Amino acid sequence: MKGYASLVKPYILWMSLFIVVPMLLIVLYAFTTSGNELISFRFTLDNFFRFFDPVFIKVLLKSLEVALITTLLCIIIGYPIAYIIANASEKSQTLLILLITLPMWINMLVRTYAWISILSDGGLLNSLLGFIGLPQMKLMYTDFAVMLGMVYNFLPFMIISIYTVLAKLDKALIHASHDLGANPLQTFLRVVLPLSLPGVISGITLVFLPAVSTFVIPKFLGGGQYMLIGNLIENQFITVGEWNFGSAISLIMAFIIMASMMMTRKMDRDASENTGSEGGKLW
Amino acid sequence: MRKLIEFKNIVKSFDDSLVLKGINLSIHENEFVTLLGPSGCGKTTLLRILGGFISQNEGHVYFDDIEISNVPPYKREINTVFQRYALFPHMNVHDNIAFGLHIKKQDKQMIEQKVKKMLKLVNLQGYEDRPVTLLSGGQQQRVAIARALVNEPMVLLLDEPLGALDLKLRKEMQVELKKIQQEVGITFIYVTHDQEEALTMSDTIVVMNNGEIQQIGSPTDIYNEPENRFVADFIGESNILEGVMLEDYKVKFDDQTFECVDYGFEDNLEVDIVLRPEDIDIVPLDMGRIKGVIKSAIFKGVHFEVVVETPYREWIIHTTDKVELDKEVGLHFFPEDIHIMYKMGTY
Ligand SMILES: Nc1ncnc2c1ncn2[C@@H]1O[C@H](COP(=O)(O)OP(=O)(O)O)[C@@H](O)[C@H]1O
Ligand SMILES: [Mg+2]
Repeated sequence: MKGYASLVKPYILWMSLFIVVPMLLIVLYAFTTSGNELISFRFTLDNFFRFFDPVFIKVLLKSLEVALITTLLCIIIGYPIAYIIANASEKSQTLLILLITLPMWINMLVRTYAWISILSDGGLLNSLLGFIGLPQMKLMYTDFAVMLGMVYNFLPFMIISIYTVLAKLDKALIHASHDLGANPLQTFLRVVLPLSLPGVISGITLVFLPAVSTFVIPKFLGGGQYMLIGNLIENQFITVGEWNFGSAISLIMAFIIMASMMMTRKMDRDASENTGSEGGKLW
Repeated sequence: MRKLIEFKNIVKSFDDSLVLKGINLSIHENEFVTLLGPSGCGKTTLLRILGGFISQNEGHVYFDDIEISNVPPYKREINTVFQRYALFPHMNVHDNIAFGLHIKKQDKQMIEQKVKKMLKLVNLQGYEDRPVTLLSGGQQQRVAIARALVNEPMVLLLDEPLGALDLKLRKEMQVELKKIQQEVGITFIYVTHDQEEALTMSDTIVVMNNGEIQQIGSPTDIYNEPENRFVADFIGESNILEGVMLEDYKVKFDDQTFECVDYGFEDNLEVDIVLRPEDIDIVPLDMGRIKGVIKSAIFKGVHFEVVVETPYREWIIHTTDKVELDKEVGLHFFPEDIHIMYKMGTY
C-alpha cells in the first residue's frame, strides 16, 4: 500500500494549483483595496462593511428565502416519490432511479434553456393554453419560473437521498409495527418517517447549499432584474469588475454555507443517534 | 381444549416454486405448538400467513372459527416475535415495549404499569431507557418477547427466536420461554429447526418437510413412533433400515425375521424400520441375534456413541458402559423397540 501513496502526489499538486490557489486569491482580494500592485497590498475590511447595506442584505435574505422554499418543496414533492420508488418492485426501482437521475447527466445550462422554451411567452405552455382557448400567462421572469427551475434541478438529489434510506429500511420493522396493531398511516408516522429522517437531512444539504448560491437559474428564468446572491457575486466579477467586493461577498457566502452545513451535520448526527444507523450518508 | 386456529388446505407458491403444499393443522388454546423442519421447508411462510403479512394462494385460515384470510395484520389478535427481533432502532426499551399499547391509546398510567410488569417477566428491570441497539442478542430477544406479550394476545408466534443465541443462553431461554408460556397461559406457536429444542419445549410438534406436514404429535410420539423415515432421521440419531413386513408382528431385515409389536400392514410390504441408538444393548456374542465388531466408541458426555459393524450395515448404539474396540459382540433389542414405518410416498 505504501508504494501507492506517492501516486497521489501529482493529484495533490494539481488540486492545490487549481483549487487552493484561487481560493487564496479570493481571500487576498477580499481583504485588500482595489488597484493593488503585485507586491504591495493595502489591507482593509471595507469590502465586508460595504455588504451591510440594506440593498445587499435584501439580496441575501431573498436568496435564503428562495433556497429555503426550494428545499421545502423538494422535500414535499421528493418524499412521496422516493417512497413510491422504494416500494416498487426491484426491477422498476432500477428503472425509476435511472429516470430520475437522467436529467442530471445533461448540463444544467441546457436544462435551464429547455425551460425557457417551455415557459416563454410564445413557448410550449402558452401555445398549449392558447390551443385549448385559455388566456396567455406571463410565466418567464417570475418567482414561479425561478422556483420551478430550482426545484426541477435539485429535486433528484432529494429523491435519491431519501430513497437510499427508505430502500435500506428493514421490511420486518414495518411488519412488526402492523403486528403490534398500527395501521399503515400510524406505521408511517411512527416507524418509517422517523427512520428516514437521516435521508431527508442529507437531502437538505444536497439541495439547500447549491440552491442558495446558484446564479444560472435566476439569471435565465428570473431575468436580469432577478438578483440573488450568486448573481450579485457574478456581477461584481464580470459586469462591474469589483473583484475585491465580489470576493468579500463570496467569503460571506462561504461562511453562511459552512454554518448551515455544520447545523445539518449536527441534525444528522442527532437523527443517526436516534436511529442507531449510518442512514443517509451519501459521502 | 378449545380449538383456536385452523389451517385448511393452505397452498402457497412464490413465483413458480410451491412452498406450502396443502397444510391442514389445528391449534388449541394454551397449547405450545412447534413447527419443526429443516431450513427452507416453509415454516416462516406458514407463520407469516397466520400473521397476515402474506396471503395464501389457496385454502383458509380460521381463528376462533372465523375466517381471517382477509383481515389485515394490525387487526389480528396475534403478536409475533420476529426471526431477527425487528426491534424499532429509534426507540429505547420502554418505547419498544409500549408501542402496541400507545397504538391502542391506552391510559398512560396503565401503560407504565404493564411495561413494568413485562420487564419483570423477562428479567430486564431497569433497562427502560437503554437504546435497543446497545443490547446483547439475548436482551434484544427478551425485549421482543415483552413487546409482543404486553398486548396480551391470544396467540404468540415465535420464529426461531433463539436462533441467534449461543448454546448456553439458548438452553436458559428455552426454560424461561416455557415458564413464561405457562405463566401467561396463552398459545405459543414456535418455529425452529432444532429438534432438541422442539422436544424439550413443546406440547405438540408439527414436523414439516418440503412444504408438507410429515407428522403431528407429542414429543414422545414423534420420538418413539416416527411415522416415516424423514421424521425418524430428523428427530435425533437413528438406525434406519429397510425391511419387509412378512405378516402382523413379524418383520424381516438383514436376512433375519424378528418379532415386533406392529400390525395392520399389508403382508410382504416393504417398510422402513427405525431402531433408536439407546434402545439397543451390547451383549456377549452368543446372546445377540445380530453379531458385529465394535469399530469405534466416542464419549459424548453422558454416554458413549458406539459403532458396531455387521456384514449388512453399521449400527449406532448409545451405551453408558465402556466397550472394547475390535471386539466381536452381539446386539440385543426388544420387539417394542422396533418401529415399523411406511416407506415415504406409499401411504
Ligand atoms: N418472499 C419470497 N419470495 C420468494 N421465495 C420465498 C419468499 N419467502 C420464502 N421463499 C421461499 O420459500 C421457501 C420456504 O421459506 P421459509 O418459509 O422462509 O422457510 P423456513 O422458515 O422453513 O426456513 C424457501 O425456499 C424460500 O426461498
Ligand atoms: Mg424461517
